[in-house]
Formats: sequence, structure tokens, C-alpha cells
Amino acid sequence: MEFRLEAHRIVSISLGKIYSARGQRGGLKLHKNLLVSLVLRSARRVYLGEPGGECGLPPRPRDPPPPDCERLRRGGYRPLGSEAAARGRVECPAESPRKRSAVERGQAAGSPGKKPRREAEPSPPQEDMETGNVASLISIFGSSFSGLLGKERGAAEASEPGQVCCEQPVLRSLNPWSTAIVAF
Amino acid sequence: MTFTSPQKIVLRVLYLKTNKNWSDIISTVEFNHTGELLATGDKGGRVVIFQREPESKNEPYNQGEYNVYSTFQSHEPEFDYLKSLEIEEKINKIKWLPQQNAAHSLLSTNDKTIKLWKVTERDKRPEGYNLKDEEGKLKDLSTVTSLQVPVLKPMDLMVEVTPRRIFANGHTYHVNSISVNSDCETYMSADDLRINLWHLAITDRSFNIVDIKPANMEDLTEVITASEFHPHHCNLFVYSSSKGSLRLCDMRASALCDKHSKLFEEPEDPSNRSFFSEIISSVSDVKFSHSGRYMLTRDYLTVKVWDLNMETKPIETYQVHDYLRSKLCSLYENDCIFDKFECAWNGSDSVIMTGAYNNFFRMFDRNTKRDVTLEASRESSKPRAILKPRRVCVGGKRRKDDISVDSLDFTKKILHTAWHPTENIIAIAATNNLYIFQDKVNSEMH
Repeated sequence: MEFRLEAHRIVSISLGKIYSARGQRGGLKLHKNLLVSLVLRSARRVYLGEPGGECGLPPRPRDPPPPDCERLRRGGYRPLGSEAAARGRVECPAESPRKRSAVERGQAAGSPGKKPRREAEPSPPQEDMETGNVASLISIFGSSFSGLLGKERGAAEASEPGQVCCEQPVLRSLNPWSTAIVAF
Repeated sequence: MTFTSPQKIVLRVLYLKTNKNWSDIISTVEFNHTGELLATGDKGGRVVIFQREPESKNEPYNQGEYNVYSTFQSHEPEFDYLKSLEIEEKINKIKWLPQQNAAHSLLSTNDKTIKLWKVTERDKRPEGYNLKDEEGKLKDLSTVTSLQVPVLKPMDLMVEVTPRRIFANGHTYHVNSISVNSDCETYMSADDLRINLWHLAITDRSFNIVDIKPANMEDLTEVITASEFHPHHCNLFVYSSSKGSLRLCDMRASALCDKHSKLFEEPEDPSNRSFFSEIISSVSDVKFSHSGRYMLTRDYLTVKVWDLNMETKPIETYQVHDYLRSKLCSLYENDCIFDKFECAWNGSDSVIMTGAYNNFFRMFDRNTKRDVTLEASRESSKPRAILKPRRVCVGGKRRKDDISVDSLDFTKKILHTAWHPTENIIAIAATNNLYIFQDKVNSEMH
């Protein structure tokens, strides 16, 4: 539980950093934002109780998802926890960081309807379009976050912390950006 | 400099430059190859060069002090209209070229543009022109009755700095390091994802020698954090990554050195795993030893010495401030965990130095395994003051003058340090103050 609280706090702090990085003089600092997104990913994993977040911890039991997510599930989307559990893969932190992205890619690739690269890092605005940045951020946040920093797309409000919902196409129609930085 | 006991380290202040503006925050410090000149760059895009005064028999106590030699504006803020981004004028790195004639040359870089500057002295001027008078105004020709040969007369020393080359448009990402090759003809510049090789005389093109940008930016997992040419082998260079690895590359092997010749990395200690393990393993600086046999790296909590012949782990690891390991979350929150500390070798490669917080800097003697913590502060800035070793206490017995971890001032950080190439003289940049310390007891290298 303490881990989850700390993870929650770290997620909030990380989102705040990514948000404030956009207005920084000199442009986006790729190195710093990469590190922040790595921390965000670790914290998110712990917060969601995913295997690999804490070595050996089983996935958290899921509450019944809200109606939005029912719609998504009919579209072939599966909640994070169950998919990972189904795969039966437990990723220990003892593994070298280099292996982690390969494992994650494996996990992500198996889930239909999701972006293939879940552990994506924020793209530098220097080379990608604004929408590309947002897409990266969405794929980082995956399905449980509402902290969306892009202007074109609406932010998603998570109905419950940790609840699985909000596939990428759905986000456009949801709450505007101004109402959510962190939903928890 | 051997550390037989802490009392033997006697450092005195030679120069202290104080500035109060944000733009005066020193962002890089570099001695030239003889140690006669010391260059500093700041956030305002300025470069200040200090010159060591020759030792005088009349005033033996003032021997070898550094005074301002020249100041110039190297970079100005620019605006990239295409991307709507401001380009900071902050000087990220300065590197001196080996001196080949009476002039000195240095490279300075901000995030995007590298510039070659030539520093020359003028101490004579011609007098006795036929066509113009002393002020330069044209003479009335009817008053000229005879011809004279202009004569060179001494004048007050004037130091002139002129931009000789501007190496622009080579980098999409932020330049973090530059390094002059031992061939004295080429140099490299590294940004987050690419390293370019330039010829010092050619500005309109460069060769890309390392490119780690993935085809899909969402696959990005590591960036280049620092790079340096080998001091003797002009074909070898090293670059460090945000994942804590070092890659030694050989330019003879292929034109594009994406594939390393050697990969130096240490497996992570699972017992130290935390949310911030990746951040603290990111290498912020890499420096070859003067001998070329070793490399020194700095990550957030340690400095490590690597032997070029052993890729599996460093041969030495020194804890800079391990008491911060339990405070990583707070340091993440206040952004201190992203601070990039540099490291330095002394001339004989026997002592390594790096900065820390609270204006502390640390030195480690590789032979005796002793280390010392010193402070660059106002109290120690009085001329000929002797630096007293400091101690951070982490609970337990607390001695007088110890600082507790919770009292450390994290806004006072020493990121940039430099060591004279042959003598025990160090330059410490403490935010916007420059301290130069000299070992009074042993001014020659041991």
C-alpha cells in the first residue's frame, strides 16, 4: 500500500514535470524528459499493481469497470491487469533495464487495439508533429491516466484510480484538456 | 597530491570572481593545455579567460595568480522560427585547441552552434604613417615634405578575440559535449542522439559518426550524455549514455560508429533498485585519464574509474554522497536528481575530483584510497586561507563542524571543476562564483 501511495505521488510529480517542460526556454530537454518518462512508467506499473512493478506481487483484483470501458472491451480491448496475468509473465526488477523494454514490447504487442509501443517516450517537438507528441504521451499513460498534456485531444478522466478505460480514439471525445492534469 | 593525512591538504585561494546575476552562472570551466589560461563560460553566453601571472621574485606570495585576460560575448540567444523555439545562449562547453603559434584558439558551444575563437595579443602599434596623422585622419598632402618609415612602438597590451569559424546547423538536438582530436585537425560534437566529426577549417559540412536515433522515436530508451576523444589515439573516442554505459568506438573500423568496439557497463545491483535507479545510473561526464589507459565517469552518486582493457565493471568506485540514496524522491521532486556533475583527473592521474552539494567538492586519492571533502565558500575565500576538510554526518556520532544531511543546501551545487594539467591548481565553479585553489605545500605534481 505504501508503495502505491509513493507511486501515486511520483506519477503526479512526473506529470507535472512533463507539463512544465513544454514551456521551458531552450526547448524540450530530451534527456531529462526521457528519464522522467522512465520514472513515470515504473511508478505507473507499481501503482497499477502490474507484475513487474513490484517483483513477485500479483496483479491487483479489478473492480467492475465503468460503462465506457465496457464499450471498449467489446471492441476487443482487454484490461491491463488481466492481460498481463493471462500471459503469466512476471518481470523482476532484478532484470537489467536493457531487457525491460523488450519484455514490455512483448506484453504490449499482445493486446489488441492498443498502440504497439506502450513504453513510448515523449518525442522531441523538434522532429515530430504536435500530434505525434500527444500520441506518445497517451501511449505512455496507457489506459488509466487522465493527465493529458496535448491541446488537440481531450483529456481522459479516469473514473476510478487504476480503472482500465479510455482507448486512444475515445480520448478525443472526452473531457477537455483544461480539466485534468492528474486524475487521482 | 598525496593524501597522507587530511592536514596535508593545504589549499589557498588565488582568485575569486563574484557575480550576482542569473546570467553569470558559470556553466563550464576549462584550463588550456599548459594551464596558463583558464576559460569559463556562463549562462549569458559570455566567455571569460583568466591568465596566470608569471611568478615574481618580489612578491613570492602572489606567485601564479590568475587575473582576467579577456572577456567576450561568445553566443547570443537565437530564435528558431521554424520550430518556435528559443535557443539558449548558455555556453555548454569550452575546449582549447593545442597552441600552434602565438595565438590561442578555443571552441565554445551552446545547444546548437560551435564557434572557433582566436585569441591574440597586440602590444605594439605602428606610428609615423605618411598619409594619416596620429588619430588616423588623412593628412593634407601639401604638408608632407618627406617620407618616413612607420615604426612599431610598444603600447598597452590589448587582447583581441575574433570568431574564426562558426559551425552551425549540425545538430537537431542539444549539444552536450565537444572534444578536440589529438590530430589537431578535427573535433567532434555530440548531442543527445548523434555525434558529428568536423574539420576545424570546414564549416559547411560535418560527418555523422554516431547516430542512435531510433526509426520510431517512441522506441527511444537512451541518449548520449557525454563524449571524448582518446588523448593519444586519434581514431578512438568514447561516449556515455543515460543508461550508464560507455561505448568505445574506433573510426578505423567503419565510417558510422554505431557499433561499438567495446561496451563498458556494470550490472545493476538489485538491492539498490528503486524508481530512480535509471536516473542515478545515467553518466553525466566521462573523461579519459592523461595516460589514456583509464576513463573516469560520474553518475549521480558515484565516480568510477574504468580500465580500457576491462569492460565488465569499473576497477574503482568511489561514493561521492551515498547519504543521498535515501532521499532520491525529494531530489527528484526538486529536480536535483537531474544535476549533471562533472569530474576531473589531476595531471598524474593519481587523484580524481568531483563536485557535490552545499558547495562541497570531493577528491579521491587512488593510491592511498583516502578522500576529502572541501568547501568553496566565502569563509575560505580570504587570500591564503587554508581549506579545512568538511564532513557530512549521517546520524550517529556528530563532531563539531559536521554538517547534517538535512542541513545541506541543495541550491549550492558544484557542477563544474577543472584541474590544472600539471600543477595542483584547481578551478571550482560554485554557481556564479569562481574559486581557484592552489596547493601551497606541494605546487608541483607528485
